[in-house]
Amino acid sequence: MIKVDASLCLGCLSCSNVCPSQNIVRTQTGEMRSIHWKRCKEECDLCVEFCPAKALTLVPFDETVPEPDVSFDLVACKICGSRYATEPMLRRIEAVLPANLQKDSEGLEWIRVCPVCRRNIEAERVTRQMVLGRSRKSP
Amino acid sequence: MPVYIDISRCIGCRSCEVACQRVHGGSGHINVHFVGDFASVPIFCHHCEEASCTMACFSGALHKEGDRTVFDVEKCTGCGLCQLACPFGVVRANKIAHKCDLCEGLAEEPTCVTTCPANALSTDFELASRRARSRAARAAAHGGKR
Repeated sequence: MIKVDASLCLGCLSCSNVCPSQNIVRTQTGEMRSIHWKRCKEECDLCVEFCPAKALTLVPFDETVPEPDVSFDLVACKICGSRYATEPMLRRIEAVLPANLQKDSEGLEWIRVCPVCRRNIEAERVTRQMVLGRSRKSP
Repeated sequence: MPVYIDISRCIGCRSCEVACQRVHGGSGHINVHFVGDFASVPIFCHHCEEASCTMACFSGALHKEGDRTVFDVEKCTGCGLCQLACPFGVVRANKIAHKCDLCEGLAEEPTCVTTCPANALSTDFELASRRARSRAARAAAHGGKR
């Protein structure tokens, strides 16, 4: 059976992805992500091993313990407002990346921007560069 | 070696997208974006020197091998941290991560490069600046007019 430390869980769904018996159930609506660990009798610890936050432990089976549930509000992109990640996941990215990589050349804190907007920003930046280059060549 | 782009040459035909999808079983890693009427820009992995996706990957699935950022599918848990750590939004994760592999083991050269009919993509970092220099030289030879 799996014990969950909800304060450590990132809500990344690694455990649910690697579970061979679909005992870790995910539900995602537009604004929320929930993870539900079924009481499992397996002695398998794949989810424990693959948890990036070390939030899971294998404990002896006990029927009286309630099945753990964790829910996260998804964070909204600061440009388009679409919900794209859990807060602990973004905090984790902010913790592992060096500070100089967390802002782009124009000072944008891109970690708080969704991947779709990041691609659009990159396309616009490259286009500006090209247009600038052209006007420099033929004034 | 990574793929470089000379966007002044891109004609927005999306052949690179199709080629990438064909080689990678239907899920491609390159997307052509259209910016107003100005430009079409293929967006794909830069194989960054300081690759944030590899820093965020806790299992070692994404890592640097020389100047390439490579992905070991066996180690991926699908946590999606790499997707959130990519400043350009070009690492995708849907139960498993996928990103540009430069067609390693699938083709001799990246298929987007060999397919591009406008020669906008190349694996030669110097090519775009050589082209710019020769354009300038041609212009000078024609009395400054192009």
